[in-house]
Amino acid sequence: MSSDSQFCHEKGLAFLEARSLTKTYQVGSSAVHALQSVNFTAMQGDFVVINGPSGSGKTTFLNLISAIDRPTQGEVLIQGVSTNTLSERQLAQLRKDKIGLIFQSFNLIPVLSAAENAEYPLLLQRLPKTERAQRVQAILSEVGLADLGKRRPNELSGGQRQRIAIARALITRPKLVLADEPTANLDSETGAQVMDLMRRLNEEHCVVLLVVTHDPEVARYARRQVRIRDGRLMEGEGS
Amino acid sequence: MTWWIPLRSLLRNRRRTILSVAIIALGTAISLFVYGFLENSKLQIQATTVKEYGNLQIASPQLWDDTADGYEYLISPETEAQVLGLLAEHRGITGVTSQLQFPGLLAAGKLTQVVRITAQVPGNETLNIDDLVIDGRPLQPADVAAVLIGRSLANRLALKVDDVVTLTLTTVDGAYNATPLRIVGIYRFTSEQVELRSLFIPQAFAQILLNTTGIDRIIVNLTSIGATDSSTAIIQRQLDEAGLSLKVKTWNELSPFYKQLAGFFDILFGFLTLAVFVLVFFIILQVLTLAFLERTREIGTIRALGTTRGEVLGQLLLESAWLALLGSLTGVAIGLLFGTGFNALGIEWQPPGTVEASVLAVQVTFLTALPPFGVSVMATLLSAIFPAIQTSRLRVVDALRVE
Ligand SMILES: Nc1ncnc2c1ncn2[C@@H]1O[C@H](COP(=O)(O)OP(=O)(O)OP(=O)(O)O)[C@@H](O)[C@H]1O
Ligand SMILES: [Mg+2]
Repeated sequence: MSSDSQFCHEKGLAFLEARSLTKTYQVGSSAVHALQSVNFTAMQGDFVVINGPSGSGKTTFLNLISAIDRPTQGEVLIQGVSTNTLSERQLAQLRKDKIGLIFQSFNLIPVLSAAENAEYPLLLQRLPKTERAQRVQAILSEVGLADLGKRRPNELSGGQRQRIAIARALITRPKLVLADEPTANLDSETGAQVMDLMRRLNEEHCVVLLVVTHDPEVARYARRQVRIRDGRLMEGEGS
Repeated sequence: MTWWIPLRSLLRNRRRTILSVAIIALGTAISLFVYGFLENSKLQIQATTVKEYGNLQIASPQLWDDTADGYEYLISPETEAQVLGLLAEHRGITGVTSQLQFPGLLAAGKLTQVVRITAQVPGNETLNIDDLVIDGRPLQPADVAAVLIGRSLANRLALKVDDVVTLTLTTVDGAYNATPLRIVGIYRFTSEQVELRSLFIPQAFAQILLNTTGIDRIIVNLTSIGATDSSTAIIQRQLDEAGLSLKVKTWNELSPFYKQLAGFFDILFGFLTLAVFVLVFFIILQVLTLAFLERTREIGTIRALGTTRGEVLGQLLLESAWLALLGSLTGVAIGLLFGTGFNALGIEWQPPGTVEASVLAVQVTFLTALPPFGVSVMATLLSAIFPAIQTSRLRVVDALRVE
């Protein structure tokens, strides 16, 4: 893992590529161009922050990359494979094995304990019990919640919940992690802790990290920033 | 995927789950109680019917089809001996006897009554009504010109033991015959019709009265009612192979009353089942639709994490299976408990057309619990299918957007 991380960025392999990615919503008789012909490439180990005004298409962009939504035009390639060519089942498999998702409002499953929430993707992968237990223990330590595994989400603070959500996103050792406003529901101090954690994980686990945020504080953690405006993507901070 | 996540999901809203379990349990318990009651009634009637007819009767098709002009259907002593020989090979038979039945007119003073005479072999255990004699004594092998009459007939004609009555009948040659009979005993039966109509006299004496050496049927008792059909088939084959033109009829073929009643009970239970099914189905449909709807965002989340539609569907159906199991088992437990309590009360009831009250009881066994259990489980599972399929087909992005 850690030996990987020293090289993954330098190799300069394109892990993720969006080509002419377009999403148009039909609302009544008018068309909403949520995303217009976006081209984007992320290298292995990239940490990209995506910002932009509300309604500019950031969530739409992440949804197309994680293939929980299909583009109107264009395609997303993950390790060279276009998600357009994959079946519903194969897409589920892709998300299960290669993509970690972090949500603004954590989206933990309320009936599962913190540890079980983190373990959930491993249940999907049908890993044996002992290996699951080891990995859960390791990841909970990594996010600093080794002692709180038995608690239910409603017994955790917002920051703790998001750290469990991060643990859940990382437990399968995905190559790509997408986070949509991960700190929006947290106070600035907790938000900073969460971002510290994400940066550390990006460095140690060599994952491509795409973080959508409004928060300029958060943007500082990134190695690279892109901006989406009116469905168009621009490199750099913009203004 | 896992068995325990659906169970946790089911228990997340305790109040709603308890309500659902209560409804399924109620349906199951009511259904079980009624079914147990009907089954018990059937068993009682079965026992009475078998007591009246035996398990099987063997006779000429002419007797069964009522196509004879006279007494052509009578079975000769040689044929009877042959049949008894065949039956001796057969295991599972607890007793065999023969009967001769014919109509007659009973006169006591100025009162008369059309009756049906059953000529029995006194002392033969099979179909004997010795234990039903409530006054006087049963028929004995040495009896001649003796008769057992029913309690209701005795009341109607004001007869008592040792009274003499006159029986008029037609012989096998078509001649009239009248004979005095002394009442040696009075019997009771559950059916008033039987008590009014049926007389019992010794067979040897009846053969003299009818001027015949034959009998009209051979009656077989079996170790269990359940063995009736298999034994019938075997005995019929034996008879056919021996070239005897005789046909076996079972107790339920012989008693039109039983068949009608059993059919009526089945319809009754059918309606009840339907009502319980509809009740459980629609209420649980409502409950589950709401429960799944409330979880839209959560379903969107697990789909986004890589859970397939099939897995989501499986989990939701498993959840409803837990509900079905919890509800139905609770219902069975309540039904069995309630039934046992009811049986302990020993409530008496006199069914129409009977002379004696019988104790109301419900059959509370594993077997009677099975159909109500099955119906509730099916209703719950079926009610889950539609909302579960709908929920599993949600578009992930839309589901995630729901607050
Ligand atoms: N399902 C949909 N149907 C119709 N229009 C939609 C749908 N989803 C998104 N849109 C529209 O597409 C545009 C982009 O939406 P998107 O959610 O990607 O914006 P965003 O950049 O994530 O905004 P925010 O910062 O507020 O989260 C918006 O104009 C939005 O109204
Ligand atoms: Mg958004």
